[in-house]
Amino acid sequence: MQVQSHYSDLLVIGAGLSGERAAAEAAAKGFSVIVLSIVPARRSHSSAAQGGMQASLGNSVMGEGDSPDVHFADTVKGSDWGCDQECARLFANGAPIEMRRLAAWGVPWNRVVAGRSVYFKGGEKFEKEEKKEKEGLITARAFGGTAKWRTCYTSDGTGHAVMCTMDNRCAELGITVLDRKDAVALIHDGMACTGAVVRCMRTGVLEEFRAKATVIATGGLGRLYKATTNAVICDGGGHIIALDTGVAPIGNPEAIQFHPTGIVPTDILVTEGCRGDGGTLLDVDQKRFMHIYEPEKAELASRDVVSRRMTEHMLAGKGVPSPYGEHLWLDIRHLGDRHISTKLREVDEICRHFLGVDPRKQLIPVRPTQHYAMAGIRTNKDGAVYGLKGLFSVGEAACWDMHGFNRLGGNSLAETVVAGGIVGAKIVEFLQGNEVAFSTAHARDALRKTEERVNSVATCANGRENVYAVREEMQQALMDGCFVFRNEADLQQCVARLQKTLDRARRVGLVSDGKGVCHELYSALRIEGQVKLALMIAKGALERKESRGSHNREDYSARDDKDWLNRTLAYWREGADMPELLYEDASPVFELPPGERGYGGGRIIPADPAWVAARTIK
Amino acid sequence: MAGTATMLYAHPQAHPRRDACLDWLQMITGACLVIFMWCHMLLVSSVLVGPALMDAIAWFFEATYLVQAGGPVIFVCFLAHFILAARKIPFTAGDQEIAWTHARMLRHRDTWLWMVQMVTAMFILVMGAIHMWVVLNDLPITAERSAARVASGGWLWFYFILLPLAELHVSVGAYRIGVKWGFISRQNRPKAKRIELCMFVVFMVIGVGTLLVFNHMATVLSAGRGV
Amino acid sequence: MGRNIHFEIFRYNPQDTASIPRMQTYFLEETINMTLFIALTRLREEQDPSLVFDFCCRAGICGSCAMVINGRPGLACQTQIKNMPGHISLHPLPVFKIIGDLSVDTGVWFREMYRKTESWIHTRAEVDPTLEEARMDNAVAEEIYELERCIECGCCIAACGTANLRPDFMGAAALNRIARFMIDPRDERSEREYFDIIGTDFGIFGCMGLLACEDVCPKQLPLQDQLGFLRRKMGFAALRQIFKTSRPA
Repeated sequence: MQVQSHYSDLLVIGAGLSGERAAAEAAAKGFSVIVLSIVPARRSHSSAAQGGMQASLGNSVMGEGDSPDVHFADTVKGSDWGCDQECARLFANGAPIEMRRLAAWGVPWNRVVAGRSVYFKGGEKFEKEEKKEKEGLITARAFGGTAKWRTCYTSDGTGHAVMCTMDNRCAELGITVLDRKDAVALIHDGMACTGAVVRCMRTGVLEEFRAKATVIATGGLGRLYKATTNAVICDGGGHIIALDTGVAPIGNPEAIQFHPTGIVPTDILVTEGCRGDGGTLLDVDQKRFMHIYEPEKAELASRDVVSRRMTEHMLAGKGVPSPYGEHLWLDIRHLGDRHISTKLREVDEICRHFLGVDPRKQLIPVRPTQHYAMAGIRTNKDGAVYGLKGLFSVGEAACWDMHGFNRLGGNSLAETVVAGGIVGAKIVEFLQGNEVAFSTAHARDALRKTEERVNSVATCANGRENVYAVREEMQQALMDGCFVFRNEADLQQCVARLQKTLDRARRVGLVSDGKGVCHELYSALRIEGQVKLALMIAKGALERKESRGSHNREDYSARDDKDWLNRTLAYWREGADMPELLYEDASPVFELPPGERGYGGGRIIPADPAWVAARTIK
Repeated sequence: MAGTATMLYAHPQAHPRRDACLDWLQMITGACLVIFMWCHMLLVSSVLVGPALMDAIAWFFEATYLVQAGGPVIFVCFLAHFILAARKIPFTAGDQEIAWTHARMLRHRDTWLWMVQMVTAMFILVMGAIHMWVVLNDLPITAERSAARVASGGWLWFYFILLPLAELHVSVGAYRIGVKWGFISRQNRPKAKRIELCMFVVFMVIGVGTLLVFNHMATVLSAGRGV
Repeated sequence: MGRNIHFEIFRYNPQDTASIPRMQTYFLEETINMTLFIALTRLREEQDPSLVFDFCCRAGICGSCAMVINGRPGLACQTQIKNMPGHISLHPLPVFKIIGDLSVDTGVWFREMYRKTESWIHTRAEVDPTLEEARMDNAVAEEIYELERCIECGCCIAACGTANLRPDFMGAAALNRIARFMIDPRDERSEREYFDIIGTDFGIFGCMGLLACEDVCPKQLPLQDQLGFLRRKMGFAALRQIFKTSRPA
């Protein structure tokens, strides 16, 4: 069979913000870059992020006194000290610069308008006055879990607007961006990665893309869950090809964030901006409740806290019953028509198009839903994946790891471009310093294995399990055993269920003929890897006997810095039936030693003070 | 299904402003014809007030040579407008099929109105030319001669067909100029649509009235001669 | 019990030489709050896994799922079944190259469009992002964003009479893109440079003013007003050029 081969210095898998940002960095330095994406670049899930990007520009009067230090502290606290503080520092320092760079590239950031205006906090009206000397500079809005107003935005289409600009930048640089290309395996020899085997989703034909450096920037894995705000393409594809190598680990697989406000029943996200701008959460009696649990921050507490409190409140019998299960209400009626039609237009559209609800007059049904994976392909602070030379990862797909066990709203969208730039620069260094010999044998080997997989699935050689049924079983197992609240018994059952599911996943066969585009084949090629990833999540959660950030154990409610101030590294060794879990320190150094977050409550089992002190830097 | 777009326009063009000029000319000839048609209808319909008024107006235009000079100018305008607009009309069978399938699928008023313009244009080209030829070869224009022509042979039916076609084309054309050049905006488009419809109805009423009056006049006249 | 919805779906697999374009019938029972996203996904997973269509964000943000729904181009994900008759016919968008069934190649078309319109900021300014950013009026930023909201779904192109007849017509999406850069103070392109891109029958002068783009745009972009603005601007640009070049030097 004649296979089409493509060569480039850099291969980027995933054309969302982080992938394209890294690509732009390398292309600007003169390297040849190919970017692959399942969907046209601008349809990437980056474009769905409505709220904004956190950067401590401090131009708004409500952001006065802000600095990378304050942003850094917010990020570390948000992560519940689970993050790598070196990365968090790189990020906090780089964010304001990156926002200005994006402004120069064409992002229409909202700007400071001098003079008085009103804003809402916790349903109450306040007034602020923006300064004349700051007029026209990039402004910011409030977001959950932050000390200052720090979230740069373009109305409520920040991700979309930045995605447009980034893709324009790639077009300007002449980068080859190919859509409908699904990377199904990495080309590697156990030591180094030299590209990927790709299935063309126009023709169904396999191709090989060989490159000196490869970046996985495929975004999240939300579709492992039944209820998720993620796009249908966020199915862990990038994680799977990494873990399939047997040598690249998934970092903190149990660290999954749930968003407080997914609408019921379609799980579409309504932005945190709703609460940031003064929206409130109501229960079955149409009464506010967040201030009872969180007197200081109320609705503006960080996501994990709000999700947890909502679940807690529903468990206390205060949920609103519906055919799709219990939910609560989000109320933005008091923000007024003008505010809703301009600043929250996407929210307005979502309510009208997917619920038939007018948020000016009616309440929005919401419940916590899977939203973000802090979990990801573990990299060092340069974005280089553990275990494979020449393989990088960035964005949500990666565990870089600035989010630890909980990320702040607006930090992930900012991470895509900030980390994309940093990792891009490191890739440039790698390309400048390395000559890579392409091994045809390994490429042919990877291609042959993929062909065999395609054939065995298409001819039902291993069995006739229905891929959609298997996926449903996997999603349900995670929803039942590994959602907002977790405990030993449920997790054990979840792992057992997933082990059975893995067995079924290995026996999937197609109903259709698999010719051409064939979505069923696309799903079938992923399902085994997805179940493995689900097992990593469940097993990681089962072993982590503490509560930290989004990982809430009912049976271990304390944050245990003594034994668990670390990061899970989950490997799937070749031929194994279960993941292997190793652990590393959460952060090589502490700029901000472990302490109280200031919200969320909960007991802390402190780490050995001498150990902490030895690693603390100024 | 068509393939992806090619880069035709990126080639250096011999006349970089050709398309812009042709578009201006299409608009200007169109606008002139619209204004002419409205004036023409008003003038002819003066017979509704009385044949003497129409005769007086016609005499004025001929005495000042506006008809003798203006007639051919309008005729040239008419032909030029057709040729210019024809650049956009699908003439091949394949393109016709695409256009009709598209309009039927979309069920969209403004797209249908364009189909109307396209079809009426073909009839107006032939019938309008005949009308102009006949009138300009039979000067001077008087109410009596017009009445006689309308009533003779199949001419009444000829005009009953030409009138709505022309009025449709004119009012839709006026609306289209407004839309294309941005005089009609998103905000005032519903109003513009109402005006467009009103103009059509008003001119149809006037036109039909005028034809009936001509027909009646001819009957009376021939009855008078017959005595 | 919900209605039993009768779907008629266009089927064609260009990769399969035996495949011929045809309409295929499916039935599905309506459930509460069902959208075309839910319906089509269920059809694929429960009845016919060979069915090809595109969804991505399923929230009306990404533009993947544009198709011809009962004759009109629109986004399937935000089409609520309760607002539809009991008989729903689905076709792929015309103009674009078909990939299979309801899926068309908008990706290549739009990448070509970026290249044609040079869809990026043209500036000679060297920006140092470590220094304070250039200021911009917030109203201008919002105006730019208003046009930047295009999700490149292709509905305006599919609904356009000209684009259906002339595959190289740029269409409302591309013209809107040019308008977006024209009002951006950061873009230093001259009127003449813009004219060179859109001042032909493949650009703004090819527009016949049928306004289907305006009427089908799922994002309600102000396409009508932008097209009018561009025609006037480019029309007068042409006159200015003629006037200038015909004057003795």
